Amino acid sequence: MSQPTLKLVHVLLGKSIVESLLVAGLAIGFFFTAFPPYFRGWGEVADQRVSGWAVNSALPEERVVVQLFVDGVLVENGVANELRPDVRYAGWANDDYHGYSFALTAMAPGQHEARVYALHKQGDGVNQTLQLLGDPIRFRTDEAGRSTGLVRSK
Amino acid sequence: MDNKEMLVIPTLSRSLALWEIASITSSGLIVLWGIQVFADRQPWIGVVPIVLAMVMMIYSHRQRGESARDLGFRLDNFWQSLSLLIVPTLVALALIVFVVWLLNDQRFSPRSFRTRLLFVPLWALFQQYALQGFINRRAMLVWGPGLKSVALVAAIFSVLHMPSPALGLLALIGGLIWGSSYQKQPNLFALCLSHTVVSLVLSLTVPPNLTPFLRIGFKYFGLVF
Repeated sequence: MSQPTLKLVHVLLGKSIVESLLVAGLAIGFFFTAFPPYFRGWGEVADQRVSGWAVNSALPEERVVVQLFVDGVLVENGVANELRPDVRYAGWANDDYHGYSFALTAMAPGQHEARVYALHKQGDGVNQTLQLLGDPIRFRTDEAGRSTGLVRSK
Repeated sequence: MDNKEMLVIPTLSRSLALWEIASITSSGLIVLWGIQVFADRQPWIGVVPIVLAMVMMIYSHRQRGESARDLGFRLDNFWQSLSLLIVPTLVALALIVFVVWLLNDQRFSPRSFRTRLLFVPLWALFQQYALQGFINRRAMLVWGPGLKSVALVAAIFSVLHMPSPALGLLALIGGLIWGSSYQKQPNLFALCLSHTVVSLVLSLTVPPNLTPFLRIGFKYFGLVF
C-alpha cells in the first residue's frame, strides 16, 4: 500500500469544514422551524384573571393559540382573539384582536407562578412547541384563594 | 515534487488513518442524528454527507493505491468467505427468530414484503464496503489485523445503530463476526449476502409493536421535525 500525500489531509479538512457548515445550517434551520423568534406578547394578573396579548409578527393576521400554566401545570388553552386596541396602537399588530384572558380558579394560599405560552404547530400539526410570552408572572393568593397582588422580582 | 505532493511520514499515516475512520463515522452520525430528523422534509440534504464520505473514501483508496479487488469486490474467495460466515449467520437467524417469538407472546406474525426491502442488498453492500473495505482496512493500518481492529469496527457499527439496544447489540455481534471474517477472507459480496439475510429476516419477522426497536438515531424516539 502506498503512502498518502498531504492532499488527503486537505480533502479531510475540506470535508470537515463542509460538514461543520452543514450541521450549523441544520441547527439554525431547526431552531427557526421549531422555535421561530416571531412571537411577541405580555401578560399580567388582575381581577382573578390572567390577561394579556400575543402576536405572531411573521403572520400578524393570525390569532395565536395560547396556553396558561400555573405552577408548571397546564390550566387552560385559549386563542388570543379578544379586543386589545392598545396592541395595534403600540405597533405590534395590524388589527385590534390579539388579547387573551383566562379566569383563575381558587388556589391554595401563598405564592404562585403563571406562565403564558404561544403554541407553535409545525409539520402538519404533528409537532408542537411552546414559547413563553413575556416573563413568568408571580402572584400571591389569600386564604380564600383569590389573587392579592403581584410578587416583585428582586 | 511540490509541497502538495509531499508524502505523509509513516507515523503520521497511522494518525491519518484514525482521522479517516473518525471522519466516516461522523458522516454516519450526521445522517442518523441530524439530517434524518431535522431535515426530514428535505431528505436530499442527506445526500451531502454521503457524497462527501464517498468522495473521501474513493480519494483515500487512490492515494493509498488500493484496488477494488483489494477492498473485497472480488469473486475468487467468495466461497471461502461464505464458509466462514454461514454458521454464525444461521445461528444469528435462529436467535433472532427465537427472541422475536418469545417477545411476541410465543407466536409468529410475519409481515408482508415491502418494496423498499428490494434495496436492502444494495444498502448492505454499501454498509459493508464502508465498514470493512474502509474502516476495517484503516484500523488494520493502525493496529494490524486482530482483535483491536475488529473491536473498533464492531464498536463503530454498534454506535451507528444506537440508541436501539437490540440493534446496538446485534450490530456489535455482527461487527465482530463480519470484521474478523473480512480480515481472513476479504470478500464484500459474501458479507453483503450475510448482512442482507439478517436484515430481511429482522424486517419480516419483527411485529409492528416492536418496530421502534428497529429504528436508529433520533427516529428511535419517534421524533421528526
